[in-house]
Amino acid sequence: MTLFDLTAPAISFFSVLMILLLVRRQRLGIFHTVWWLFAVFSMLSIGFFPSLVDWIGQLLGIHYPPVLPIILALCFLFIKVLTMDIERTQQEIKIRILAQKMAAYEAELHKLKTESSTEQ
Amino acid sequence: MQKYKNVAIIIPALNEVLTVAKIVKEARSYGCDVYVVDDNSEDETADEARSAGAEVLILPFRSGAWNAAQAGMLYAIKKGRYDFFITMDADGQHEPDHIPLLMDSCSSSNANVVIGSCVQRGSIARRITWSAFFFLTRLNIHDMTSGFKLYDKKAVEILLSKEAAMFDYQDLGPLLLLRRKRIKCIEVPISMCSRENGCSRIFNSWISVSIYLIKTCVWVFADWISKSGYSSGKWTDYDSI
Repeated sequence: MTLFDLTAPAISFFSVLMILLLVRRQRLGIFHTVWWLFAVFSMLSIGFFPSLVDWIGQLLGIHYPPVLPIILALCFLFIKVLTMDIERTQQEIKIRILAQKMAAYEAELHKLKTESSTEQ
Repeated sequence: MQKYKNVAIIIPALNEVLTVAKIVKEARSYGCDVYVVDDNSEDETADEARSAGAEVLILPFRSGAWNAAQAGMLYAIKKGRYDFFITMDADGQHEPDHIPLLMDSCSSSNANVVIGSCVQRGSIARRITWSAFFFLTRLNIHDMTSGFKLYDKKAVEILLSKEAAMFDYQDLGPLLLLRRKRIKCIEVPISMCSRENGCSRIFNSWISVSIYLIKTCVWVFADWISKSGYSSGKWTDYDSI
């Protein structure tokens, strides 16, 4: 075993540690936790058992199996970014409507205050 | 002078301290309730409008004329006593004296939206842009950027939907949405004054013009592939966020 054989397991191991630390500190929402745990455990399995990639690649009929994890990672990242954008848009809509409602409540409060001060 | 008790005037305003009071007073002389939505101005726009007799909503952060107009519509529709909603600019370009004209056109044509248009006011560049959008959208409206519009309740209910919350400008996006929902829009030619102070928020620099053009082109494209239909939900769903 050479030093280079340890690179992939080391990277995946540290990624797992980082994600578990973030989950432990409750920095990630429940669905994000599920997503990232799946991602890091996939990394961990490929990091420690690289032959898995060759086996799955052959099973799927991929001519050059090492490209499989790269393609899968890109696909997962694409889905992740897309869902993040959808989520962000939904949040922006809510923020805009909340701003409109807040302005309305302030106007209502101002009206009530002026009415009560003129009554006194 | 005819009084319009069932009309709410909504005026989005950003740093329009010099003109807002005059417009509010003139609009109120027609018996309408006036709602000024201050888009987080740095000057005394809100105080001026309030002292002129308008009810003032102040947005917590600057979010554009369309967001301000929606805030006014939401506030006014919740009052439950208006059948018509008129949006006007606070910069003095729109004359409240044209309110009867919009109202008469609405009742005589059975339209849901009446746009006060003034094609003559545009520069050559602006007219070329309008023609391009006219060609791309096939909207039968010549002055697409006019902020002087009359909406009936049905149109406002459509404009208070999540689909409309993402627009940044009050021109093409909302008009395309209204067309998708089979709302009848007509145009009435009116005269418009030139701005008394400041300059247009959209056409003040090349960067903002480019951003405006890019966003509008994206909306036009989105409209091509958007699902059309009659129902957009109720404004109460919008309010229940």
